[in-house]
Parts: sequence; structure tokens; C-alpha cells
Amino acid sequence: MSNLLTNTTMKRNTFFLVAGILAVIEVIVLWLSIEMNNPLPIQISILLGILVVYLARRSVTEVIQDERTTLISQKAAMHTLEIFWVIFTLVSISSVIYAFNRPFPIRPHFPPPPAELPIGGVFGFFGFFQLALLCLMIFLYVGFRMYYARKYGEFDTDEE
Amino acid sequence: MKNRIRVFRAMHDLTQDQLASKLKVTRQTILAIEKGKYDPSLELAFKIARFFNVPVEEIFIFEGEG
Repeated sequence: MSNLLTNTTMKRNTFFLVAGILAVIEVIVLWLSIEMNNPLPIQISILLGILVVYLARRSVTEVIQDERTTLISQKAAMHTLEIFWVIFTLVSISSVIYAFNRPFPIRPHFPPPPAELPIGGVFGFFGFFQLALLCLMIFLYVGFRMYYARKYGEFDTDEE
Repeated sequence: MKNRIRVFRAMHDLTQDQLASKLKVTRQTILAIEKGKYDPSLELAFKIARFFNVPVEEIFIFEGEG
């Protein structure tokens, strides 16, 4: 796979097509991981996906990144993080409050007292919320990226 | 900041695409600079000036305060 990608050249649009197909594959593997109740497939799949995108990007013959596109990415990433970390901290601090409002697990009770049992449900909720936050992060980044791309003339056309 | 890239491009009979590939940037970047939506870095500004073989201030006109 590595040789195939590094020895071949591709156009910019082919690269974006490859990236799109990879994204679809990642979603399918995520679904499979949930079905199998095993996080390993999606973890490996994400690492492989990053590797393939990296190799594919190196084989693109046209210029797809320059100082203007880097500026757009930087600004979008910075504003996404500015919003994301505030929300993420608020949510995470709640989970910390729940976790520390219990006996510290140096000597765990066995069997656990009934009062400690519902914790799984609380953390299950935080799991869903963190997944939602990850989705929010993607939407925020795409939104900011589109905003700055428009500001810096990405969608402009010219008579030439 | 105003610039005269379009004029110099026309003088050298170059398309945006051709100039972009010579400077190793995207065509959209040349278009954005020409339209005044993006101010290039000093490095790119000097590259453009050197490409057209003129001083940088002949292409870029700074319109600062005062």
C-alpha cells in the first residue's frame, strides 16, 4: 500500500476523493466496533487512515497547501479549540465531581455497597456527551473553516 | 494593502494558474491577493517581486495610517 501510494502521483481531486472514501470506511468500522463491543478495530482503522492520507498527500502533484490555506486551518483550529475546551472542561469537571464524591478507590468495597452501583449509568451519560462533543468539534471546525475560507477568497471565481 | 499583480501578470502574459505554479502556491491564493482579500507573507511578496524582477514596493502599495 505504501509503495503504491508513494510511487504513484495523483491529482488534487483524486486525493479529496480518497479522503472521502476513507471517511466513509472509518464510519463503517466505527459501527462494526460498536457491534463487536471492541474498540480495537476503530483505533487501528484511524491510525491506518491517517497513514494512508499522509502517503496520499505526498503523492499529489498539484499544490494543495500554501501559506493562505495554512492560515485558514490555523484560525479555524484555534477558534474551534477556544470554544471546545470551555465546553469540554465544564462537562469533564462534572464527571470529576461525581467521581470524587465517593470513597476513593484505594480499598474498593467488595461486594460494592448498593449506593455505589448507579455510577455506571452516570458515566455512560458522560460517554455519550463526550461523543456528542467530538461531533460538535468537527462541526465547529468545518464551520470556522468555511467562514475563513470565504473570508480569504477560497470560493471566489475570477474572469481571468 | 493594494497590489499590482494583475497588471504585472498581464504584462508578462501569465494566467493566475501559471503564476501560481511558478510560485508554488494555489491559484486561489493569487486570486485572493489580487482581490485584496489576503495579504501575502513577506517571503511570498519578495518571491513575487523577484519573479517579476522589480522592487517589492512597485507591486505592493502599503496604505497605512498617516
